[in-house]
Amino acid sequence: MIRPTLPGRLLAWIALLLAGLLAGIGLAAYQWIRSERLARLDEALRQRTAVLAGDLRFWSAGPARGFFPAGPWPGPRSGTSPVGEGAAATDAREAPAPLPARPAEDGNRPAQSGTHVREAEVRVFRPGFAASLLFGEADVDDHYYAAWDSSGHQLLRSADAPGDLPRPEEPKAPGRPVMAERAGARECSYLSTRGERVLVGLPLAGHQAALRRSAWWIGGAAGGVLALGLGGSWFLARRALQPLDAIGAAADRIAAGNLAARIEVRDPRDELGHLAAVLNRTFARLETTLNEQRRFTADASHEMRTPLAVIIAEAQAALARPRSGGEYRATLETCLEAAQDMRRLVGALLDLARLESGVDAVPHATLDLAELAAAGAELVRPLAEPRQIQLERQLAPVLLAGDPARLRQVIVNLLDNAIHYNFDRGTVRITTRREGGWAVLEVADTGRGIAPEHQAHVFRRFYRADAARSRAANRTGLGLAIVQAVVEAHSGRITLASQLGLGTTVTIRLPVLADPPPPASSA
Amino acid sequence: MRLLVVEDEPRLLRSLAQALRENGYAVDTAENGPEGLYKAQQLDYDAVLLDVMLPQIDGWTVLGTLRRQKSTPVLMLTARDAACDRVRGLDTGADDYLVKPFDLSELFARIRALIRRSTGQVNPRITLGDVTLDTRARAVVRAGQPVALTAREYAILEFLALHRGEVVSRRTLYEHLFDENDDTLSNLIDVHVFSIRKKLRPGLIATRRGQGYCVEAEPPA
Repeated sequence: MIRPTLPGRLLAWIALLLAGLLAGIGLAAYQWIRSERLARLDEALRQRTAVLAGDLRFWSAGPARGFFPAGPWPGPRSGTSPVGEGAAATDAREAPAPLPARPAEDGNRPAQSGTHVREAEVRVFRPGFAASLLFGEADVDDHYYAAWDSSGHQLLRSADAPGDLPRPEEPKAPGRPVMAERAGARECSYLSTRGERVLVGLPLAGHQAALRRSAWWIGGAAGGVLALGLGGSWFLARRALQPLDAIGAAADRIAAGNLAARIEVRDPRDELGHLAAVLNRTFARLETTLNEQRRFTADASHEMRTPLAVIIAEAQAALARPRSGGEYRATLETCLEAAQDMRRLVGALLDLARLESGVDAVPHATLDLAELAAAGAELVRPLAEPRQIQLERQLAPVLLAGDPARLRQVIVNLLDNAIHYNFDRGTVRITTRREGGWAVLEVADTGRGIAPEHQAHVFRRFYRADAARSRAANRTGLGLAIVQAVVEAHSGRITLASQLGLGTTVTIRLPVLADPPPPASSA
Repeated sequence: MRLLVVEDEPRLLRSLAQALRENGYAVDTAENGPEGLYKAQQLDYDAVLLDVMLPQIDGWTVLGTLRRQKSTPVLMLTARDAACDRVRGLDTGADDYLVKPFDLSELFARIRALIRRSTGQVNPRITLGDVTLDTRARAVVRAGQPVALTAREYAILEFLALHRGEVVSRRTLYEHLFDENDDTLSNLIDVHVFSIRKKLRPGLIATRRGQGYCVEAEPPA
């Protein structure tokens, strides 16, 4: 089964790269070996040619040139057997053979060769001692040779020379050896200044076999390196990417509902460790958010169920037996109250949902915070008066852009809390002012205050700071959550300071209007 | 039967108490955890209806504290219906669990079953010779003929029948049949017992002088 896995793709790329590199290196090595071998081969050919040419020059410069018998040259041994190439070859091969024995007495000097040649009645050209050493036996050394005199007669021809060996062409530069390739053999020809020609050749079969062997070696080595490299790469890729599997597995567990699952971070310093840490943080936030959402849903359903329970119990109890008109009325009143509680709760929940989803873009009308605060204070006066709570106002006009209805809701909610949690005959002070770039609204009460451990949570939905929370009407447990949501929708900030027994101060900072329009008429 | 209802939603508490009283129960009420716990510790209620979300001390704590002293049957009332909440309620020692909003008929049935189980009674019908009590319908039949008892008379008979074979003191009867708001004099119980005897059968309820009343355990027929 082949899956396009990441290690697989990585490996394919590495294989491609490695194969390319190895092919390049192998080809270069092969070329180098080939040219090196060819150079050596040519050198050997040149050497042999030079020796043979030297011998020939020495022979042709011999003193008894005038005594050359007329008639066709080559001499009787090589020339008289035109039919049997084999016989001529045997002669030619045998010809140099006896040489080494004689000159051994007085050294390897061309003079001896000359002497020796001169001794023979028929002037047969025979390669000298050095040549005989160089060429050696036919089955040891594959070089073949031939020589021609200036008239084109073949003077000499080694037995292993190919039968159709032609006399070399007139080279362009006489006196210099010329390399050529012909019929599967490398040949070096030399034209002396006197017109004699020497040719030394070597069949390339051996050279090519050696090259093939080299090619096989290079190929094998490259294959081995490729296999090793791929194996290593596979191992490394698997090892390096293993954390990804762990990340995937953890994500799967979380997707399956286990929100507490986390990725095991092996090394937080490397990239995958860093990724895992980032994902873990994301998962943690996701878990917190979902848990909060769950808690909120449970709380909301709890808050809805209670008034529902009242309505159902009240109605069923009333219907259990015939009642007087007054009893029915009382039942209906209770049911109505419970239904209104539910309506308030649904409204608040809807407000929160809208604010948090950002469905309603905040309309930016130009508002005076002081006017809003005054209107809000007027609205809550009926709540404050029966408990003889003083409403103090210190309202300095400050302009800002925002949604008037939402901001009024914020002010009323804060004032309502300040009155509700205040002592009778207490004081609630509402202040507006400008502080730098902020429009500040402050609602301070002289109530019972909030214990430090609750202060951080009071903006949470359905959180009630007082343990002895009363289910008084109009309290949904969402008031401060809505306040916070509205303030945040206005890019503002909300802070709360409280001291138990002394009171609570809620401060809201909203961005002041960027460039306020010039006051139409200053009072 | 005397019940304690602990519930912090005043309207629900009021309508529950009223409905239970109309069904012949004596009902005490408490609006918060400490008050509920105190009352449950002071008296042997036949059953306690306990809300989970209570001010000051929540229902779990009330239940846990009570369970260390008493095995009073407790029915938890809660608006949380997650399975883990139900399991927690039952594991803490609640005898039953009801999720708000509930039907009154279901609540009454569960209370009856709770009280029956706590007295070792399995059958909702109690037979005392030729007298049969139907605890569901709160009706009494004698020799095939329905007999009309007042709510008080029925309550006394039912309590004695559920505790038959035991001697029940006047004080116990008083505690279980009248709630904290009742200022009925204890000797009224004698009047009710006299009336029951007259309507059903003179020997049904025996008087143990200086101890109380007793309905004899019926030998299996």
